[in-house]
Amino acid sequence: MSTAAGGAGAAGGRTARASRGARAAAIGFLRRSWFVLLIMLVWWLVTAAGWVDPYKLPSPGDVLGTLGTLLTERALLVDLGATLLRLVEGWAIGVVAGVLLGILTGGSRVLEDGIRPVIAGLQAVPTIAFLPLAILWFGFNGTAVLAITAFGTFKPMALATYGAMHQISPTLLMAGRALGARGLFLQRTLVFPAIVPSLVTGLKMGWSFAWRALMAAEIVVTGAAGLGGVLELGREIGAIDVVMAVILVILVVGIATEQLVFARLERWVNRRWGLVGAR
Amino acid sequence: MLRFRAMRERAGSRSGGHDPDAPAIRVDGACKTYEGSDRPALLTTSFTVERGEFVSLVGPSGCGKSTLLGMIAGLLRPDAGSVEALGRPVAGPGEGRAMVFQDAALFPWLTVLGNVEYGLRAHGVGRAERRERALEAVRLVHLDHVVDRRPHELSGGMRQRASIARALVMRPEILLMDEPFSALDAQTRTILSDELQRIWLETRPTVVFVTHNLIEAAFLSDTVHLLSSGPGRIVRTYDIDIPRPRDEADPALLDLRHDMLERLRAEVDDAVEQRAQVAEVVAL
Repeated sequence: MSTAAGGAGAAGGRTARASRGARAAAIGFLRRSWFVLLIMLVWWLVTAAGWVDPYKLPSPGDVLGTLGTLLTERALLVDLGATLLRLVEGWAIGVVAGVLLGILTGGSRVLEDGIRPVIAGLQAVPTIAFLPLAILWFGFNGTAVLAITAFGTFKPMALATYGAMHQISPTLLMAGRALGARGLFLQRTLVFPAIVPSLVTGLKMGWSFAWRALMAAEIVVTGAAGLGGVLELGREIGAIDVVMAVILVILVVGIATEQLVFARLERWVNRRWGLVGAR
Repeated sequence: MLRFRAMRERAGSRSGGHDPDAPAIRVDGACKTYEGSDRPALLTTSFTVERGEFVSLVGPSGCGKSTLLGMIAGLLRPDAGSVEALGRPVAGPGEGRAMVFQDAALFPWLTVLGNVEYGLRAHGVGRAERRERALEAVRLVHLDHVVDRRPHELSGGMRQRASIARALVMRPEILLMDEPFSALDAQTRTILSDELQRIWLETRPTVVFVTHNLIEAAFLSDTVHLLSSGPGRIVRTYDIDIPRPRDEADPALLDLRHDMLERLRAEVDDAVEQRAQVAEVVAL
């Protein structure tokens, strides 16, 4: 980075412009990552100086090395795949159920009065508190984990959808009705598209809730393959480098889905729906 | 464009039940007080609109003109009295009435063509006919060059044109327009009211047009009902028989505007005087 940015002496306008661009990029990178780099530095110093027990905190190099081994041995990839599959399945089930219930409660006074307090109440209970119940119902297996993941997504999704229903412009609804839209047609062609921008926010929130519920459940229900099981195994055998490597993987997956999936989806919807602040 | 008219006449004769001799709209003793308000939004009001007539309801804000239009549209219910459209009591929106809103109220996720086709889709019109009729309506408002754009990519004037096309594509017998040009800049407003005159001459629907712009009302209408506020009521009705096509700069229109303005001013003075008297009494 610093060599590219330091090429100010290069001849020619294009090179100068390019180097200015590179410098700006380098500065931007530093502004966003200086704290992370600082943590890494402190981490490395502390472990290199031998101030902490390596069984409590291995060096960054050890963690990365372990991560490399785990990935090349493929075992971790199988666990990662199992976790991601469960995450997507549970999330999708929760999203569909949540959106349907949200639309129903937002569209009918009777359903709203009855159902909304229940969902709001459930939202006050951490999803993982339902894990013992799920284990009793579905067994000590992946199905219980999946159920918890779906349930964790369902609650915020239903509330987000319900909230979005109440933000639909009354004029838009009036315009639709005046044009003869009613019943299921109105729901499908007006209500649903009108709430899509808010749903995208809900999808994102649902995803993060699904992640949390899934990890917690996997750490407890260790029978099936999954990252949570690897975390728990690492704890059992005292392999802290494994535990930290898996945490790194979870972090990377989280950032990647946010940037590659949700940020793009959000930009696309904002453009298509012509929302203010769309870039 | 005569096809619009012919199709509408056919549609009208098909739907039985309608009394062909009934006026387009009959408002009989309608009044309205909104919940939580101590003053009526609209005092008992009666008037009729003949078929093919262009009628404006004009007056300051709070004069009940939008309330009246909402009743005719079937979006509001009068507290007492009745509202009939095409000889039948108004029970809800639709039924030969189409509406154009102040802020266009286009569906942001649909293209111009998608917006114009929407009402036809709601009525189960097939894809090919839908497309053909939508294109016809879009041409009528001169938007055929932007059919694939979305509302946020259009100017305010184009949005309102699209909104008019969305209403016209339904071949309504009655077109209800709620301050359609009030959010536009002066030049665009003038151009669009000129266009509306042309479209009306080509398609001849019955129009009820709500505005606070006196010259716009006089320019477009056969009949102007002047309303006054606090509480809302019709204070005078003007019949305008200047031949069309008209010109907004026509001195006769300017005279009319002057007359209406005087009348409104007198109303406002009365109201101020009344309020001053009340204030005096309260002060004593």
